[in-house]
Amino acid sequence: MPVDLEKILRPVDRPMAPFPAKHVTLASGDDMVIRQVGRDDVPNILPYIAPLVYVERDYYDCVAARVYAELLAYYRYRMQDEYVLVAQVDGELCAVVNGRMVDERVGMSLHTLALRRGLRIGAHAFAAKMEYHMDILGQEEVLVVAESPIGFRRWMIEYDLEKRFDIPHELGGVPSYALTRELFERARGTLVIGRRPVPEDLMAKAEADILPPSDPPRPPDDLLAATRSKYDPTGTALMLQRWVQEGKVRE
Amino acid sequence: MRDVYVAGIGITSFTRLEFPLSEIAAYPVMMAIKDSSLGDIDHLYVANMGGGRVNHQTGLASAVVDTLSLTPSGAELIENGPASGGSAVKQGFMAVASGLCDIVAVTGAERMREVNNLEATDLVATLTHPIAEYIYGVTLPSLAGMFTRLYMDKYGVTERHLAMVAVKNQKHALSNEFAHIQQEITVEGILDSPEAMTNNPYVADPLRFFDCCPVSDGGAAVILTTRDVAESTGRPLVKLAGVGQASDTHCVHEREDPTDLLAVRRAATAAMEMAGISPSDVDVAELHDAFTILEIVESEEAGFFPKGEGHLALERGDTTLGGKLPINVSGGLKGRGHPVGATGVAQVYEIVHQLRGEAEGRQVDGARSGFTCNFGGFGNNVVCMALLRE
Amino acid sequence: MPREIYAYRCRRCGELHYPYRMVCKGCRENDHNEFDAEPLPRAGTLVTYTDLYALPAVFEVQKLSLGIVELSNGLRITGQLRIAEPRAGMKVRGEVEVVRNEMYDEYHGMVFYES
Repeated sequence: MPVDLEKILRPVDRPMAPFPAKHVTLASGDDMVIRQVGRDDVPNILPYIAPLVYVERDYYDCVAARVYAELLAYYRYRMQDEYVLVAQVDGELCAVVNGRMVDERVGMSLHTLALRRGLRIGAHAFAAKMEYHMDILGQEEVLVVAESPIGFRRWMIEYDLEKRFDIPHELGGVPSYALTRELFERARGTLVIGRRPVPEDLMAKAEADILPPSDPPRPPDDLLAATRSKYDPTGTALMLQRWVQEGKVRE
Repeated sequence: MRDVYVAGIGITSFTRLEFPLSEIAAYPVMMAIKDSSLGDIDHLYVANMGGGRVNHQTGLASAVVDTLSLTPSGAELIENGPASGGSAVKQGFMAVASGLCDIVAVTGAERMREVNNLEATDLVATLTHPIAEYIYGVTLPSLAGMFTRLYMDKYGVTERHLAMVAVKNQKHALSNEFAHIQQEITVEGILDSPEAMTNNPYVADPLRFFDCCPVSDGGAAVILTTRDVAESTGRPLVKLAGVGQASDTHCVHEREDPTDLLAVRRAATAAMEMAGISPSDVDVAELHDAFTILEIVESEEAGFFPKGEGHLALERGDTTLGGKLPINVSGGLKGRGHPVGATGVAQVYEIVHQLRGEAEGRQVDGARSGFTCNFGGFGNNVVCMALLRE
Repeated sequence: MPREIYAYRCRRCGELHYPYRMVCKGCRENDHNEFDAEPLPRAGTLVTYTDLYALPAVFEVQKLSLGIVELSNGLRITGQLRIAEPRAGMKVRGEVEVVRNEMYDEYHGMVFYES
């Protein structure tokens, strides 16, 4: 009798109310749609995240690698109760945020990856996540951690999150912070923003296709210069890498 | 005193640069040397504020003069807070005017993005008085916020006026390939829309996110020389005709009138007097808009508009490209970016570029005289310059 | 011992300074440290204020309320505010309290309350 391993390995998701899409006006005057995506959208998104694994600044590499893993796990049914929201302007992907339910009461914010800088898109996306956990899923608390100093300032300090250092967050086991119901209500004015419903044409454009980001974070133009700036002061390691690419040296 | 001319200019992109600080300072000098074909530099002045503190590099001038292979020429680091660039150009001016040197290179550079935002904020906060301001957590944005509140109460400047400055300068920056911010914004997006509070949150109220200039890396350089040498390059002759500098009390609370920027007034008057021009003669200006309120107030203190009416001129469109007195067509600090040590030199770069008639895409037609204002600390040390096309 | 914040009066001409200045602003003729320290009065009027959100790392609070106050002796001082709704021209009273904690050090300064 064949044993259905998939039955054992695949988690059983709780029923989760869907995120009703909303739209916000950005500083540039553009209209940004924030909506939930399902598993079938993940293969379209992954290629836009992959290149960021090579951008060291602001911990993009760390965040991108983890988001890639979380989205892939979601797609292949190896993560329980995960949700993924995307932010789009004219169909172009501007941010990906994700999280999951720990249990009925507690949510866990996983990541906020902004693919377009300078317009506070990350702030909008993070707020959408908090609204999802608290208002839509009806939870009481969300655990949050930050990989980069920017994230720390924007969330832990700005929203005065409660320390939950006894709970190691699954992102590297670092001490967690929590957005409690009380903090959420206090910050409702800044966390629950945007307008619903999304106008039909805007929504249609967003749902039609997830287009590649036009100006994503990129690794520095000159890797050797970056090296002279920080690591490997001799530049030898990267020189070697370049020579290999140019065919001057056989690996 | 001899007349001094700007014979060469160079600049890097203002953005996040993954190059060592000494290279960020050297690159624009290389460009300026190519621009002027003057390679025999007698002396180098380097403007920089944070090198010792955030980049772990003291004695920066010694590093730069060597990486440019300009040894054995002398070199000095000039640190005057955000007015380092202006001060360095002034030192270069004095070296040539006095007859001590014939060809001088001045470069300003900063690499603040090597550290995170909190440390960069702290670096700039060290400008304040250590006991009477710094310990309270006072940062430059907080001083600007308090100043803005007074100005709004006294002269009727509103958040909308501040937003207009931000929108104008970011629009100007789109025509500047070296500018940091290449993003158009709208007053609707940053002020009127329901999501404006998230797009444009308060930093030090009443100042908001888009009222403050970005943190940037970058460098700019000019080459100063005598008339004869400048003529020999065959490039348009731009004279550095006037320099002025003035200081004010260290603590902002000790200013005579907390809504005045007396140092700007004095430095601007001195610079224009030396150049033999009056404010109405100026065709294009680069003012120090580290905070949008400063562009408005500096335009008044420099004498371009009556005190308390700068925001009205802004409303009329006088200070936009195409208006009567375009201000910050390069994008200013708001749009072009603010690598602290580089800004003063970048302002001179822009005016020279304009007076030469080579600023494609953002040329102020027929510009013959220009003005810069480099604002150090929070208005306690200001360097102004006047330039004339011959 | 209750702490005070001091202004400095020139012994030659009587000019009052806050903060300390090496050379008297009035007569410019004083000898080194030829000043008398006088505690600042606590009563004053609020000149201007701001709520600062972008704080240095050492402050672990969400925002800092800062202000400039004109004291009853004519001197002005910058300080932190613990006032719910500050207004220019409001009467305030200063207390000397801890305004900054850095590692193991405490820094004292003036904090203003509504009078």
